[in-house]
Amino acid sequence: MASVIEADICIIGGGITAAMVALRLAEDTSASIAVVEAGGRTDPLEERFEARQRYMDYGDTPYPGDHIPDQTARGIMSRSMVLGGQAMHWGGTTPRFTPEDFRVRSLYGVGTDWPIDYDELEPFYQEAEERIGVSGEQGPEELDPRSSPYPMPAIPLSWTLDRLKEWGERSGIPFWANPVAKNSVPYRGRNVCQRCDTCTICPTGAKYTPDFSFNQLLEEGRIELHLNTLVRRLELEDATDRIEVAQAVNLESGEEVELRARSFVLASGYAWGPHLLLLSANSRYPDGLANRTGNVGRWMTGHRPVSAYVEVPMELYPGIYSRHSLISNRFRRPGPLDRYLRHDLRIWESEVGRQPRLRDDDGTLLLGDAVMADWRSRGSQGAARLRGYYDVLPSRESRLTLDSSLRNDLGDPLPRVDFVDSEASLALRQHSEDSIRGVFSELVRAGGGRMLRSGVQDIYDHPGGGARMGDDPESSVVDRWGRTHDHENLWVVGAPTMVSGGCANGTLTFSALSLRSASELGKEFPSTA
Amino acid sequence: MSDSDRRSFLKRSVTAVSALAVTGCAPGSEPGSEAVEGSDASTSAALPPTTLEAVGEVVLPAELPPEERQQVVAGFRDWLAGFRPVVEQNHGYGTSEIDYGPPDPAPAYRAQLLALDLEAQRRHGSDFAALAPEPREALLRRSLEGVAGTGMPNPLTAEHVALALMARYYDSAAALDRCYGVGIARYSCRGLSGMTDRPAPLEGV
Ligand SMILES: Cc1cc2nc3c(=O)[nH]c(=O)nc-3n(C[C@H](O)[C@H](O)[C@H](O)COP(=O)(O)OP(=O)(O)OC[C@H]3O[C@@H](n4cnc5c(N)ncnc54)[C@H](O)[C@@H]3O)c2cc1C
Repeated sequence: MASVIEADICIIGGGITAAMVALRLAEDTSASIAVVEAGGRTDPLEERFEARQRYMDYGDTPYPGDHIPDQTARGIMSRSMVLGGQAMHWGGTTPRFTPEDFRVRSLYGVGTDWPIDYDELEPFYQEAEERIGVSGEQGPEELDPRSSPYPMPAIPLSWTLDRLKEWGERSGIPFWANPVAKNSVPYRGRNVCQRCDTCTICPTGAKYTPDFSFNQLLEEGRIELHLNTLVRRLELEDATDRIEVAQAVNLESGEEVELRARSFVLASGYAWGPHLLLLSANSRYPDGLANRTGNVGRWMTGHRPVSAYVEVPMELYPGIYSRHSLISNRFRRPGPLDRYLRHDLRIWESEVGRQPRLRDDDGTLLLGDAVMADWRSRGSQGAARLRGYYDVLPSRESRLTLDSSLRNDLGDPLPRVDFVDSEASLALRQHSEDSIRGVFSELVRAGGGRMLRSGVQDIYDHPGGGARMGDDPESSVVDRWGRTHDHENLWVVGAPTMVSGGCANGTLTFSALSLRSASELGKEFPSTA
Repeated sequence: MSDSDRRSFLKRSVTAVSALAVTGCAPGSEPGSEAVEGSDASTSAALPPTTLEAVGEVVLPAELPPEERQQVVAGFRDWLAGFRPVVEQNHGYGTSEIDYGPPDPAPAYRAQLLALDLEAQRRHGSDFAALAPEPREALLRRSLEGVAGTGMPNPLTAEHVALALMARYYDSAAALDRCYGVGIARYSCRGLSGMTDRPAPLEGV
């Protein structure tokens, strides 16, 4: 017999978007909240110094046990399934989208407009930055619109990055400190950044990871957390389209678990969210829940990076804080365009071409003092890494499907993700990549130095979509708040609801969207006010 | 990214980071203070110390003061002793692959050091460590003939222990500081203060 868990609200997933929803609902309402996470816990903060050391020394995973061996997928897919989700590993870069991201059809005649605009999301951006703890520098107002200051001042630019800013700005393009989810001052009980420079694993707790929020909510007694509990299907009430139960299994004991709630929130990320909807097909919804119009698993989004390494004509010291970077929104807010192209622009220090090496240019093996002498001679000029993410306008055929040839130990088919550029994006691809390379060349021309190499990675970064939002149920899965068109008590939040992937890291936007959904869902429950 | 860009780049950077030797910021995390639990400490502890030391004299910069060079060599032995074979590695971003680390390189490294001694005996009638600098370097160079690649290898998968020792040293914060002649203290948890200043010159470098 299955064990039964009852709550007012059941949040499926334990990543950053789930944390945002749980925090907001716990504050706004007196509803009982169950958070269900398929994975367990990875190492607590106290153990991250040692984990970091082994990661640096040997490459050992800094987050032991952070994935489930038989929960995998084909296609672009990060494996973290653990309390905290992928944002245990994340770099913590937290740019907002710009107003243009929500209006590409109206402004540029391509892609699809979102049902909401920047101004509607802006308060939730601010709230996400405050809850996560973001340190940032206000960029020029016309390029970096915000209604309130960042919660914390920016992480200072290192001596090296400051020189690179000066180099980059010789082109007339303004750069400023990239906003990050790392504390520049002690913040909400968490430590200030110690510049350990291994942000994948932050041993001091200065980088936000969602486990902090869940721990806080547990201490306050505001959530019930069910770990190692994989939800396998959502089931409908007999005569209605409401979700009645989430059928799950405890992956440790093998015991079946039934989660009953008034509302269900799918906060499981871009892959597992649509996957669960497809897995939950039944006789009334043979193509999957929330899929009456066939949009679940479609319109998968992301952005594609174009990168370059350049030599810059100045002495730079690497390693002062190599994870910190500069950003510019100059090309995210380009004004009127003949041909559509929007991209972000980042600069990091780099050691490309400046590392110690075994052989010199003639192929002679270097030993002893010769290695150091060779290294010194090449270190007299600095280097930088440049990158632009451009948005790939999603195609309806950009899809997540169930792959019956790949199943977990329970026999459930796993996701297969096939990202596809829309026709419009394909037509723009060469132009986009050439133009970004042109911007890199312009930086080099104005600032001095030379291009070492450049390349494009054929990937979709910060993926989203699969349950996109819209006012028209014929072309979307959820409404502008994240409530599914087909099931009044089923919500999808964050990444899957994205209409397009924008051209900057997406997680702050996933978080802001999740807070916005929670603010609406909370209205259905008794308020704490 | 650690932001580590992306997919294949991330996978590469994981390897690169794994090769970092750092003066860690964790209490007791300096190279050399690694616990040996879980590893076959006896194998790497059995790296012939005198031969390894002599290899260090050839491949590490002669400008290193002798005590520092000895520390580097001792740190290398301790680091190897702390290694655990075929451990799950940090998984890359955007890839569903899970990678595992290499097998223990210590037996091969030990055999290479013993071979240096044997060859020194056969060619010159004395241990490698007892050779004069020139024949020592010549012998080591002969052992390294045919080594592939231009860059420093991952010290866990280097073709030769001499290269592993070099790679481990040259990835260290101390080597970076020595190269640039300033105190950067890369990857130590240094706090935010002072990062806007030009790093201070190191004395005696
Ligand atoms: C190395 C790395 C660096 C990154 N750096 C950045 C960065 O600098 N900036 C940025 O914006 N983004 C970054 N990202 C991306 C960012 O981490 C993700 O976008 C974000 O964490 C996604 O959060 P999420 O809540 O949508 O999903 P996830 O983090 O994937 O969380 C979903 C959770 O739901 C659980 N779950 C799924 N299905 C079920 C089920 N059926 N039952 C129960 N539980 C389930 C999963 O186990 C998982 O823990 C990075 C990611 C990685 C891996």
